[in-house]
Parts: sequence; C-alpha cells; structure tokens
Amino acid sequence: MDTSSVKIILQILHYLFFGYAFASILSYIILSFISSKETIEYIKKRSFVNYKDILSSTISPSITIIAPAYNESLNIVENVRSLLSNHYVNYNVVIVNDGSKDDSLERLIKAYDLEKVHYIVNEKIATKPLRAGIFKSKNPAFEKLMVVDKENGGKADALNMGLNISTSKYVACIDVDCLLLEDALQKMIKPFLEVTDSKVIAAGGVIRIANSCEIRGGKLIDVNLPKNVLVQSQILEYLRAFLLGRMAWSRLNGLLVISGAFGIFDKEIAIAVGGYDTNTVGEDMEIIVRMRRYMEEKGEKYRVSYIPDPLCWTEAPDSYKVFISQRNRWTRGTIETLRKHRKIGFNPKYGWFGLVSYPYWLIFERLAPIFEAIGLIYFIILIVLQEVRWDFAISFFLLAYLFSVVFSIIALYSEELTFHQYKKKGTGFKLVLLSAIEPFVLHPFVLYAAIRGNYDYYFNKKKKWGNMVRKGLVNN
Amino acid sequence: MVDYQYIYDYYSNAPHLIQWVWWVSAILATGIVVLAICLKFIRSSLRRKSNEAAKFKTEYEALLIEYLYSGDESGKLTEPQKLIVSKIKDSIKTGFKRKLIVSVLYNLRNEVSGEMSDSIKTFYYETGLIHFAFERLKSKKWNIIAKGIGELRCFGIDEASHAIAPFINHPKSEVRSETHLYMVNLFLFEGLSFLDDLKVSLSEWIQIQLLETLQKFDNQEICDIRPWLNSKNDSVVLFALKLAQIYNQFEVKETLMDLLSHDNKEVRIKTIDVLAHLYGIEAKEMLKANFNELSLEEQISFFKLLEKLVAPDDEPFIEAYLFHKNFEIQLLALKILKEINFDKYIGLTKSSNDNKSLAMVKAVKVL
Repeated sequence: MDTSSVKIILQILHYLFFGYAFASILSYIILSFISSKETIEYIKKRSFVNYKDILSSTISPSITIIAPAYNESLNIVENVRSLLSNHYVNYNVVIVNDGSKDDSLERLIKAYDLEKVHYIVNEKIATKPLRAGIFKSKNPAFEKLMVVDKENGGKADALNMGLNISTSKYVACIDVDCLLLEDALQKMIKPFLEVTDSKVIAAGGVIRIANSCEIRGGKLIDVNLPKNVLVQSQILEYLRAFLLGRMAWSRLNGLLVISGAFGIFDKEIAIAVGGYDTNTVGEDMEIIVRMRRYMEEKGEKYRVSYIPDPLCWTEAPDSYKVFISQRNRWTRGTIETLRKHRKIGFNPKYGWFGLVSYPYWLIFERLAPIFEAIGLIYFIILIVLQEVRWDFAISFFLLAYLFSVVFSIIALYSEELTFHQYKKKGTGFKLVLLSAIEPFVLHPFVLYAAIRGNYDYYFNKKKKWGNMVRKGLVNN
Repeated sequence: MVDYQYIYDYYSNAPHLIQWVWWVSAILATGIVVLAICLKFIRSSLRRKSNEAAKFKTEYEALLIEYLYSGDESGKLTEPQKLIVSKIKDSIKTGFKRKLIVSVLYNLRNEVSGEMSDSIKTFYYETGLIHFAFERLKSKKWNIIAKGIGELRCFGIDEASHAIAPFINHPKSEVRSETHLYMVNLFLFEGLSFLDDLKVSLSEWIQIQLLETLQKFDNQEICDIRPWLNSKNDSVVLFALKLAQIYNQFEVKETLMDLLSHDNKEVRIKTIDVLAHLYGIEAKEMLKANFNELSLEEQISFFKLLEKLVAPDDEPFIEAYLFHKNFEIQLLALKILKEINFDKYIGLTKSSNDNKSLAMVKAVKVL
C-alpha cells in the first residue's frame, strides 16, 4: 500500500470519528430539547391529578409487586415492610426467595408470622421448582404478603415465578432492596389507565440514589448528597440519563429499557412474550424489546411510558470495583439484547422502533465505548509517531469537555425546576462543581467497564451477574 | 502583552475549523458560568418563594378562620368579615398570592361543612376570586382552562355549567376530565348527562374518579342508565356497566343480555361479569349454548359466572371441561365440580391418567 492510500484511509478515519462525535452531540442536543418539552407538559399535567380517588377505589386495577431476593437476610424484613406500606389499595407483594443460602426465609417467617399454604401455580412460564413452598401470613395485617421459596435460578427466573403466581392485571417488578415511595404505585399505574388511543404495555420510573439519605421505618425522611465522589457522580449521571435521555425517548415512544429496579408491566403481554429471558444478564432491557417487538408484529398500537417523579430510591455502588462490575453487566446485557433482536434494526417493518430507537441504541449506546476506545488508541499511536496536531487535539478535547459540562448543568436545571430534591444550601454549587469533575472521576471508569463488558461478552462467556455488594439502605 | 499577541497570531493563522471550535468553546465556557450563576439564583429564589408561601399561607389561614368565625346567623357579611374581604381583595391582585388564597380556601372548604362551607363560597364571590376563574375559561392555554374548571368545581359554582359544558369533548384529556368531574361533583347523577354527548373515549382513570365522586354523596338514587348501555361510544358502555354493577341495576338485565352480542369483546366480557354479579341466570343457558363460539377470555368469564350461579343440572357441561387445556378454565371447572358433586370429584383422582391433571385435581381437593 503506498503512502497516498494510507493517507486516504486515515482521512476517512478522521472524518468517521468527526462525524460520529458530531452526530452524538447533535443527538444529545435534540434529546435535551425534546425532554424539556416533555417535562414541561408532564409538570403541567401533574398539577391536575387527583391520586386520592384511585387510592380508595375498589375498582382500581390490581397490582402485584414482585421482588426477587437472593441472600438479602441483612435487610429483608425492613425492605418488605417498606413494600407493604404502599398507599395503593388493590395490591399485593410477592417476595420470591430465589434459593437464598442465608436465613432470609426464616427471618421472614418469624417477622411476618408466615405459614405454608396450598397454592396452585399456573406455570405459564417454565421456572426452577419450588423449594420450601409458598407462605402467607397468619396475621391479617400482612395479608397482602406472599413469600415464595424456590430453587435458585437467577433474577429473571425469580421474576418469572412471580409472574406465574400473580393473579393481578399488572405486575410491578422491583429490586427488594429498593425503597419505594408510598405513592409510587398510583403514579405508575396512571398511564395504563389514562391512555385510550393505544395500549400501555409497560411503564418505568426514575431511579434515584439513596446513599446518605435519611431513611427510617422504610420511609425516605431526608435527601442528602453523599460525600463519596463516585456516588455523587452517579447521581449526576442518573439525572442526565433519566431526566434528559429517557424523558425524551418517552415522548418519542422509543424507550428500549425500563430499569430492573422498578417497572410496571401489563402481565398479559409479559406472559405472552414468555416472561423474562433467563439467559441474559440484561433481562430488564430484553423483556421491553421483546414486548415491543411482539406488539409491532401484532400490529397493535402501544406505548412504553415513563414517569419522571422520584419514586424509587436505590443504593448505588460506592467502590470502583463494584461499580465496574455493575457497568460491565449492563454492557453485556445491552450487547446480548441488541444481538438477539438484530432483526429489528433498520427494519422498516418495525416502524419507528426499527428505524430510530434500535439504531440509536446500537450506534450511540452499544458502539460508543468502542468508538471511544479506538479513538484513544489511535490518539496514542499518533502521539508516539509525533503526528498529533496539538492545536486541533486540545481545541476539540476542550469543546467535548465543555459540552459535557453544559449537558450536565442542563440536567441539573431540569431537576431544580421540576422535582427539586437536593434542597439544602450549598448543594447546588457542589453539583455544578461535580459537573466539571465528573468527566474525570466517573467517565474513564464507565469506559473501562464497558470495554471489559465487551471483552467478557466475546471471550469470557462464563461470566454472569458479577458481584454487587450492598450495604443496605436502612443502615444509612 | 507578548502572550496576547501570540494568542491573537495563533488564532488568526489557525484554520477556520479551529477558529470555529474556539469560538464555540468560548461560548460554552461563558454559558457554563452564566448557567451556574443562574442556577444559584434559581435555587435561592425557589427557597425564598417556598418560605414566603409558608409565611403567607399561615397569615391567610388565620385571616380566613377569623372570617369564618366572625359570621352571624343572618347570612350577611358582618363588619369584621367585610374588613377581611377588603384586605384579601388587595392581595388577590398578584397571581402568587391569589393561588395561595385559593389553596387555603380550598383546604378549609374540605374541612368544614354546612353554614361555614356556604360562608366560604360567599367569600369566593365577594372577593372577586370567581371572576378570575371565569376569565381562565377564556384562555387559549389548555392548562389555564383546566385550572379554571377545577377551581369552579372545588367551590361548587354551579352557574358556570353553561360556560364549562362546551369543554366536554375538548381535545386535551385534562380539560375533559376536569369538565366531567365538574358536572358530576355539582349535579351528581344528573351531571352524567354529559355522557350523551361524549364523542371521545372516557379513560379508565376518569371513570374511577367519577365513580368515586358519585359514591361520596348521600343521594344514591341513580338515573336510568339504559341509554348509556346502548351508547355508540364503547367507553360509555363500559362505564355504564360499572354503574350497573356498583348500583345493582337489576332492571337493566334485558339490555345486558343484548350486550352479550356486542361487537367489542371487552364489553362482552364486562357484561358477563356484571351479569354474574346481578345473578343473571338467564345469561347462563345462552352462554352455555354458544360456549364454543366465545373467545377464551369470555369463556373464562363465563366459568366465573358459573361458579356463582351453578346448579346441579350444569354438571354434564362442567364435566366436559375438567381437563381443558386452559389452566383457569380447568381450575374453575374442578372447583365447581368439587362444590356440586364431591363424590364424583374424588373419583377423578382415580380415573385421571394425565399426571399434570391428577396433580391439579389433588391440589384443588385441599384448597
């Protein structure tokens, strides 16, 4: 290959990187505009909602909260109490003890006065078998609670058991260690009951970070900004993702993921598609893509809704090791889902879903770390070869950095003007400062975890969930 | 000075693309500083507003309570009341204070009844707050209209009905909901007449709210719901079916029987549920005869009806579905057989060849 050919190839490569970065930035700008429009509309609409009637109504639809638990003995009793304190009238809680090796079941039996009951499970989705069986409380105060003890099969399998057991029209799948606000269910069920021109198949909520927040008796008392910079950075990252990204995709009816920590599903559709996929680590994204695909193939009008109110609070990793493990899993989950449903991508048969949502996720979520890593490697090679145009490099790095800071600050605006959770004096300044340092303290690790996720997906097939050590919210 | 010159020279000699990037970077950097300062201002303003709101709220609460307790039996405004009205009249000129006063008034109205409630309504008229609410109905913004309707509903202003009625089929669901709630809150079952003119779908969300509102009142005398059961709007039919169920409308059974052949499956399913509730024994034979033509969901609903209205002569029919492939139908059939003929049910444990079905039979036995 002669020098001119190499030059042409390099030129193409440069334009490719430039085009990708430009398209990426442009997509963020467009999403910000759409999300601001959607947020304003949501806030306007919210001011008319009367949740009291839906609370007391006996004809409000039934919801089953399904919470899988694996070795959660430390906080399970308090966490279940929090789930039982929801204000919605027509709901029940199914805790699926997924073959825990600790004394979770014993603690639940003791705390809630449980006894084994005869219950016929309609096995619409194949799952691992029951272990000790199904338990209900002898105490009428806990009549909404059901505990299912089964052989270990993973989170997806436990959720599928919950889907089989539930007799409700809707199921709320949540992580047992999440703190659900008391009005969460009535807010989440609203889109299902409100939309008349299409069928709402699922609704997701915002996940907020509860580290350092004051929690008493399963209730959120006070919201605090944690001291740990990693956790602080994740707060900012979540605000960006949920208040800007997902809000915009919700307006476009293009949401491909509902966080596994808290989402409500139309049970009939969830079962019709075969429930959660037990062979993926990204079961939360996979089921949404499958449900959407199912509806598209049926030719029915549908929506995946999104509620931006801060309803579900969870513990974020406070160590880089756990954080990387979590993000590694998210990356593998995304790859698995997109690969499994690759038929959808760029396929006009799937309409907006196939032509916009899927390609966006593929190009700007799935491939982003790959582009970034290749770009960095190429940059290092240029440094070694002393071929770097430093004026170009510095100016573009600065532009990208400043843009990311502006984008974070816009997310802060969105938070302040809507839900205003971090009210304490001085927190605003800290969050702005965080916007400036987050690209250095969080982003490199997100990139590293994503690259590791890609490596593990292709070369380390045995890797499954990874270790997610939690300290427990009630200890905060 | 040399440094500035160097920067200027560098910039002047740089390619256009780089010049452009530096420009954008400078704008972004300035933007960050401005946004950060504005954010601080917004946060302070939010805090200040929230403190002010709390302060004014306490102040207005005290004034309004004083107003309520200064009244006499004549129903006319007393001198202290007039003084308070004039004070409030000054305050309502600003939107912020007006909103606070309306919210305080509304909270008070929810806590009192009888004369005091009427007194609040008088206050609402005397202060001129009512005019602001009527003005809102003329707005071009949907949220302002909806707020106006909501306010007029909260204070029970029935003379607004003519001004509000045109919003029954408003394109924005929030305006429609507020209109429907206004009608029912103020005119009870008579208010449901808006259903006659409803062209759009009545969401399940608003249906629940309407039903809850109706149940709050002492007068539970329901009007004739047959026109709505025969409505061309399926959501109205579904709502009327809920009314029939909640208010035990035995007299509409004949209309319900007609609805069993409605075009909409959801209507047919709900009709079976309502007939089960109303002891619609007439429906049983009809549905039994057409069982195979029913959709699966209708078949399940029918078995639920049968569970309530079963008679010994239904046994041969039930026996045919004891090993149905659908779990719910099989479970219901087994439960019903166990109820009407336990000996025959026990016999099933011996005659069943299929392991899965046998397990089911055994499980139902201990239920």
